[in-house]
Amino acid sequence: MNVVVLGSGTDALVAGHLLARAGHRVTLLNEGLTGAKADDGWVAPAILEALGLGIQSGWADPWASVLLADGGTLDLWQDMTRTVESLRRVSPRDAGKWPDFCQRMAALASVFEEMYAKPPVNPMDVGLAVRVRRLGRQGMEDLMRVLPMPVAELLDDWFECDALKGALGAMGILHLQQGPRSAGTAFRLLHHHVGSPPGVFRPPRSNLGALLRASAAVETRAAAVARINVREGRVAGVVLASGEEMEAALVVSSLDPRRTLLELADAGWLDPQLARAVSHLRRRGVAARLFFKGQPQSLVVAPSLDYLERAYDDAKHGRVSSAPYLEARAVDNGTEVHFQYTPYAGGREIAEATRRLLPGLADAEPSVLGPRELEAREGWPEGQAYHVELALDQALWMRPLPQLAHYRTPIEGLWLCGPGMHPGGGIAGAAGFNCVRALLSHLSKRGKPPA
Amino acid sequence: MLKTTPFHERTSALCVSHAWRRWAGYVVASSYELSHEREYHAIRAAAALFDVSPLYKYSVRGKHAARLLDRVVTRNVLGAQVGQVLYTPWCDAAGKVIDDGTVARLGEDEFRMTAAEPNLRWLEANALGLQVTIEDVSASIAALSLQGPCSLAILKELGEIPPLKYFRLAQATLRGIPVTLTRTGYTGDLGFEIWVDRDKALPLWDALIVAGTPYGIQPAGMLALDVARLEAGLMLIDVDYVPANKALIEGQKSSPYELDLAWAVNLDKPHFVGRQALAAEKVRGPQWQFSGVEIGWEGLERLYADVGLATRLPATAWRASVPIYSGVEQVGYATSGGWSPLLKKYVTLAHLRAAWARPGTQLDMEVTVEHRRKRAAARVVKKPFFDPERKRA
Amino acid sequence: MKPYDAVIVGGGHNGLVCAAYLARAGKRVVVLERRERVGGAAMSEEVFPGFRFSVFSYVVSLLRPEIIRDLELPRHGLHILPLESTLTPLVNGDYLAQWNDHDQNRRELARHSLRDAEAYDEFGLVLHQMARLIKPMLRMAPPDPASLHPRELLDTLNLGRYFRKLDKKDFNALWKLLTMSSADYLDEWFETEALKATKAASGIIGTLLGPRSPGTAYVLLHHYMGELDGVFRAWGFAKGGNGSVSAAIAASAQAAGAEIRTGAPVAQILIERERAVGAVLEGGEEVRGRIVVSSADPRRTFMDLVGESHLPEEFAAAIRRFRFRGASAKVNLALGELPSFTCLPGRGPHLRGAVSISPSIAYLERAYDEGKYGEFSRRPYMDIVIPSMLDPGMAPPGKHVMSIFVQYAPYHLAGGWTDERREALGDAVVDTLAEYAPNLKSAILHRQVITPADIERIIGLSEGNIFQGELSLHQMFFLRPAPAWSRYRAPIEGLWQCGSGTHPGGGVMGASGRNAAFRILGRRA
Repeated sequence: MNVVVLGSGTDALVAGHLLARAGHRVTLLNEGLTGAKADDGWVAPAILEALGLGIQSGWADPWASVLLADGGTLDLWQDMTRTVESLRRVSPRDAGKWPDFCQRMAALASVFEEMYAKPPVNPMDVGLAVRVRRLGRQGMEDLMRVLPMPVAELLDDWFECDALKGALGAMGILHLQQGPRSAGTAFRLLHHHVGSPPGVFRPPRSNLGALLRASAAVETRAAAVARINVREGRVAGVVLASGEEMEAALVVSSLDPRRTLLELADAGWLDPQLARAVSHLRRRGVAARLFFKGQPQSLVVAPSLDYLERAYDDAKHGRVSSAPYLEARAVDNGTEVHFQYTPYAGGREIAEATRRLLPGLADAEPSVLGPRELEAREGWPEGQAYHVELALDQALWMRPLPQLAHYRTPIEGLWLCGPGMHPGGGIAGAAGFNCVRALLSHLSKRGKPPA
Repeated sequence: MLKTTPFHERTSALCVSHAWRRWAGYVVASSYELSHEREYHAIRAAAALFDVSPLYKYSVRGKHAARLLDRVVTRNVLGAQVGQVLYTPWCDAAGKVIDDGTVARLGEDEFRMTAAEPNLRWLEANALGLQVTIEDVSASIAALSLQGPCSLAILKELGEIPPLKYFRLAQATLRGIPVTLTRTGYTGDLGFEIWVDRDKALPLWDALIVAGTPYGIQPAGMLALDVARLEAGLMLIDVDYVPANKALIEGQKSSPYELDLAWAVNLDKPHFVGRQALAAEKVRGPQWQFSGVEIGWEGLERLYADVGLATRLPATAWRASVPIYSGVEQVGYATSGGWSPLLKKYVTLAHLRAAWARPGTQLDMEVTVEHRRKRAAARVVKKPFFDPERKRA
Repeated sequence: MKPYDAVIVGGGHNGLVCAAYLARAGKRVVVLERRERVGGAAMSEEVFPGFRFSVFSYVVSLLRPEIIRDLELPRHGLHILPLESTLTPLVNGDYLAQWNDHDQNRRELARHSLRDAEAYDEFGLVLHQMARLIKPMLRMAPPDPASLHPRELLDTLNLGRYFRKLDKKDFNALWKLLTMSSADYLDEWFETEALKATKAASGIIGTLLGPRSPGTAYVLLHHYMGELDGVFRAWGFAKGGNGSVSAAIAASAQAAGAEIRTGAPVAQILIERERAVGAVLEGGEEVRGRIVVSSADPRRTFMDLVGESHLPEEFAAAIRRFRFRGASAKVNLALGELPSFTCLPGRGPHLRGAVSISPSIAYLERAYDEGKYGEFSRRPYMDIVIPSMLDPGMAPPGKHVMSIFVQYAPYHLAGGWTDERREALGDAVVDTLAEYAPNLKSAILHRQVITPADIERIIGLSEGNIFQGELSLHQMFFLRPAPAWSRYRAPIEGLWQCGSGTHPGGGVMGASGRNAAFRILGRRA
């Protein structure tokens, strides 16, 4: 049947290709966007198997060069013994604890790894309980304790080196309007660790998006959708910004749930309580993306947990962080910098603060995309890369809301699959994969769909 | 502190009983005189004047006003004519009643909604994505209810009254005061509700009293109203049903079908809140039925005679939950009841399991006779208990 | 001397509750209290001649009604006078009041926002439902889900079954409350800043967290917990101050045969052959018992009184990382006249309730920012009550006592607490409050300032934490105070815990003491 997939990210691409492989006529409407960089992340093997694809994926090595107070760097390597060597220079105590920490975190992340390539399981699920018990006493205690914890307390329990704690703590707050002392941020460290080998705490990058974009299996149109047509509670098609109407029995949206349900489809089809809950989804953008031409550079500026917390304090009161968390990454012809935190409409101070902290960047006129620009450029609502903030109350079986967590919406034929869905941003394509699996199983259960 | 209505200056002077009660945060008279008896009889024989200002009132205007209300309530608002008033319940998505009230179509894109409970948030939650202005006008609009066979004659003393059918509205000028008249009420009699700007409230009251005195107009309180609404078979929120958004457990909630409001549920509308659940319930048939149950006089008299007493009757309409049995099995409960001075009958409004709700079904109702629980023979009867021609004429 | 059945270390309210239950079960019990009086933090004292204060804890929030009934506390002198209202004065000269009467409250809220007035009821309903779900857990000894012991397994399964039986909707709503910040949670309901801030304030009390910190929302439940016990808004003063709560429990314990020794500081818990057999007092006296029950906080109990050498390393590590971080101070004022608030001048019913200095979320959050980095808040959050309004016996006729709970005053103050810093804190409190009640400064006859360091020094609560350990999600339920040791036991035979540092902890609730006693007696609560 005719399927329209909305969005430009990996989730949309994965969903589109899987639906095409299942024999549907798929049109992908990508709004003219070329694909969000935040889609990078771990690709579950099940997705590749389903797509019949092989990809290249990996990390920079060192995966993080962390700026130290004395101007030097602490290099964290994929090879654990090399990291231990690096750490020994700044803290022999931390060096001694590193392998143990890595093993413990990897064990916890493995629980999520299994959960992420599947629709979310209810926490009362018996299978989940059995899986958690398999972790053994140590693992179970870790899981119960770590999940709701502030990442700062977790790291303070283990380490003394501020730069190490800063670099790890940054994964707890990435794209989140919270600081490292906020409860629940330890879970996010694990989230971003999923799929990485022990000792690597940065999501990998892959060419999955590029491969899928290059494929011709799915018709892609650079058109924006203005409305999703709903008739008698069932999807009838979409209306493009140009006014053109397309009929479709299925619409799979990787756009954010709020926009999809309240703006594109008519909120009147939803239970008003649900519509209200959708309108309450938190999705504040907190980061800017900068690009400096010239000498490529890779550096993490997160010298301590307090530093990150103070950066957040600014954000809390609606200001651009005067001393932000930065993650500079060498790319082809320059350096791309993740800047956190900035409010929705950040100004010149973003570039100024970045240059001050990374004097090596020569470009006097870097490109600066704040949340407002990222919203326009990438379709991130309010500039939030994950569409729905990944906090404990909006994660797992609660993502984005318990009533929508299984990718299906109350509007027959309308499905959700973006980073706003389980497992969420930073995990490439899994929401698209999970959504299509749920969708196909729904169709086969329902029998022959109406034409 | 409680609020006082725009008529308080007059009502407080008249309230010789000092019997006040709360209604939606306001103080209103339970009865003006020491007994509510004369006030009740005025409803049925002359005209009674009620201060109903505490009702919640919402002004709904704009391009999508009709669409919003059509989405919210169970009746067809899109099809309502300008000048029409709809009595309607509204439900949550599970088809359980949240509140009931009226929707008056003042213009193509202008409505006034009345409700027993605050509903601003609910209306707003339903208005996501619609172009509509919702305003709580509860405090700025004062309301009187003039009920009884003489009500029309009294209004005519005060100005030109266009012919007004049952559940219609008209703009009118009463002694120079612009008002909206609706032919509605909560007594099941001929009557009008009069909506006026709050700063014109007192002159309106005075004009009505002056014009009405020759017709026997009587300010009346909630006790008299309660008897009249019981006779008319009209349900009362929080008494006869628990609004779905206040219910603590599922069992406390009621659907419109269970409240005998099937006539007010328009399943022909393609969509409204609760439609899916209600359509399913209609197929299934409701489990409960809100019915009239009359306690037989003979049985009651015998129970009292057994202890050497003449039959005792409640002095006012009661609001309680009273078990109803069929044999040994409890098949329902009455939520309002009382003695109808007009009908000379002991009538109650009750929730009955559907199988026992057919008119004519013989049941037993619990009554307490000299501190002991007894069962009096009762019978399911059709509502309303009292339904005069003049109500709709 | 014949050994006691139980030696209870510490005469705080939980120690006394535990003693009373054990004594009523026929056990020979002795309570050893370091100070000259019982009560711990629940203590009244005539600090200035004629002026009595609940020096530390100052309201009775959640004292379990079953304890009041079981221990017949009213017979032993307990009378809780309910607090009527909460007044939040605003910077612009207006105020927000919350009243117990539904109509009065609704009218006041509607003055600020019609939507909020409407949302308030629905909010109350949701929280009431959540409180109902949580309540059974208060009287539970949390099982160890990692254990393979059949009994623990069974209890874990039962707990799991309880949650599985819950409506999914309810479970999810509960999860939201547990994981969200009170600011985010309240943003979903209300728009009036002062209302959100005043409600959010209950989530930060006693904890070094701000209203935007996740995990603070669930404390909103506490306000609704009382209703379930038939006590509408269970917040109130004990007549005679909070010391009379302790006095009543002590009297009840003594009436049941418990022995209470004050001025008996425990120096060490006596351990022989890996078994706790009694306590050694500072003078060297040994008080022996079949079991030892400590109501002191986990750090004091295990690190100071037991000693790390007796503990398994994992357990010691868990206790070491158990977080206290006291965040609150107390200012007690003797007043020559009542404060007159600019927003509601003169005497009025609002003075019989609480006054909350919490004009906005941003205000609280700024106060927290200072606390977070080791400064006390220049403009602190304050919860103020005037107990002499309800209980005239607390002050000479016509005069008043005012109790001010202050946050944030971090235990780990940069540079440490000194007399000077203490008075500076007192000045900040009085200056801030005087902005809302200008006659305050001239009304003050005496002032007492108590910092977290003072709390630690005087009543022995580690880092001055009023809950004997932060009530954050990873220090609650089966993690309180340490995984596998949440059932009031300790890794030493014969040693038990019954303080607020165990589940459920917090406030003058008494549940920890009662749960521990039931556990010791082998009864189910």
